[in-house]
Amino acid sequence: MSVTREGGWYPLMLSADLETGTVAGSAVPGRDLAVWRDGQGRAHVWDDRCPHRGMRLSLGFVREGALACLYHGWRFGAEGRCVHIPAHPDLAPPGTIRTVPLPVAERHGLVWASVGAAGVQPEGDPAMEAAAWLPVRSVRIEAPWRDVARAVGMPEGRRAAVLDRDVDGRVLAALLPVGAGACMLHLLAAAPAGVERLHDLADWGRDVRSRAEERAGRACLAGIVA
Amino acid sequence: MSDLVLHDDDLDEDCYRARLFLSLLGLEARRVAVDVVPGGEQDGPAFRAVSPAGMLPVLRIDGQKVCGAGAVLLALAHGRPEWLPGERADFARVAHWLHFAGGPLRATLLMRRACLFGGAGDAPSARRRAAVGALRIMEDHLAQRRLEGGTWFVGEGATVADVALFPAAALCRDWGEEYSAYPALRRWVRAVRALPGFVGMPGIPDYG
Ligand code: FES
Repeated sequence: MSVTREGGWYPLMLSADLETGTVAGSAVPGRDLAVWRDGQGRAHVWDDRCPHRGMRLSLGFVREGALACLYHGWRFGAEGRCVHIPAHPDLAPPGTIRTVPLPVAERHGLVWASVGAAGVQPEGDPAMEAAAWLPVRSVRIEAPWRDVARAVGMPEGRRAAVLDRDVDGRVLAALLPVGAGACMLHLLAAAPAGVERLHDLADWGRDVRSRAEERAGRACLAGIVA
Repeated sequence: MSDLVLHDDDLDEDCYRARLFLSLLGLEARRVAVDVVPGGEQDGPAFRAVSPAGMLPVLRIDGQKVCGAGAVLLALAHGRPEWLPGERADFARVAHWLHFAGGPLRATLLMRRACLFGGAGDAPSARRRAAVGALRIMEDHLAQRRLEGGTWFVGEGATVADVALFPAAALCRDWGEEYSAYPALRRWVRAVRALPGFVGMPGIPDYG
């Protein structure tokens, strides 16, 4: 009955949370990612592993259109190729020193990355296309993403959808699984939406979090008792 | 405000609160190092004569000794309305967050100390829950602030509340919390880093 779909497009974060010239950590199941935005505003998603010695690129910083590793300062340009090695400033780094970018898309106010073969764009539907989306917030929830998906009324097998809720205006919810028992819930409101409305949705996100974590906690307890 | 003296430990995040604020204010203090790990000097008679409860940091200011990060920050903020608003509602908000920094947020400091120096605390313990809970309170507040266009904990600019709260967020990776779970905190940490006069500490590199 339920569609188990690993792979495909994952909603990593709100576009608004990835400022120009910054890098952030993220993950898809089994894979840590570094997500960064260059000076032109383009988002890039790579494995969170420096090709030099494997340190985490998400701890680095963006300089001159490249992502610099914090450890020895090697820099990697938008295509993932090493463009600068501080210890050998005159050396043109060989093209073999590189990381392989993941396919990225920015749609509906979210940064998406694709793992494995999938379409050239993340899943969409007429409801998502029908509005411009304003960022509300992302909420970290210590509960399995499928439980949260069920709780918010996400259609089976989807990671993002416009929710049918009994409040004014439409809500775009997107879920990113993080590890086995946690997820990020990204919330956006259909424009136009006033500050009150945004606050209401942020409050709702907190409610979803506390209810989901309470259920997850209970499930644990029941398991111990059984 | 002549002859500021700071009794200080490089690795201590409470001392860092004081150093960071001094630097943001453009003030110089003569530093007297207190060797906490491994020296344990904060419990020795010489330091107890300076700080009876062994609390760090200690600031000598206008001939007074002020002990503890919260008190030091307040003493330095006094008479600077941009850092400590005089208007009652905003003053109350800053007081709220200063108290939070000296209360529930201590859980993050204890968690970090346990991980760095005690080799304990990695389990899903009560201590970890308290520490995560404190970070979440900050995250939730900043997420709400952003919806009305606010960057800082209180008002339109950085206040002493931001200084008091900053190290806990900036050092949370030391005890295993990642910014990916706290996007609003991450944005705010960047904003604090960009303040003129910002300085880091071991564990908080001060690259832009
Ligand atoms: S590990 Fe990244 S530059 Fe050395």
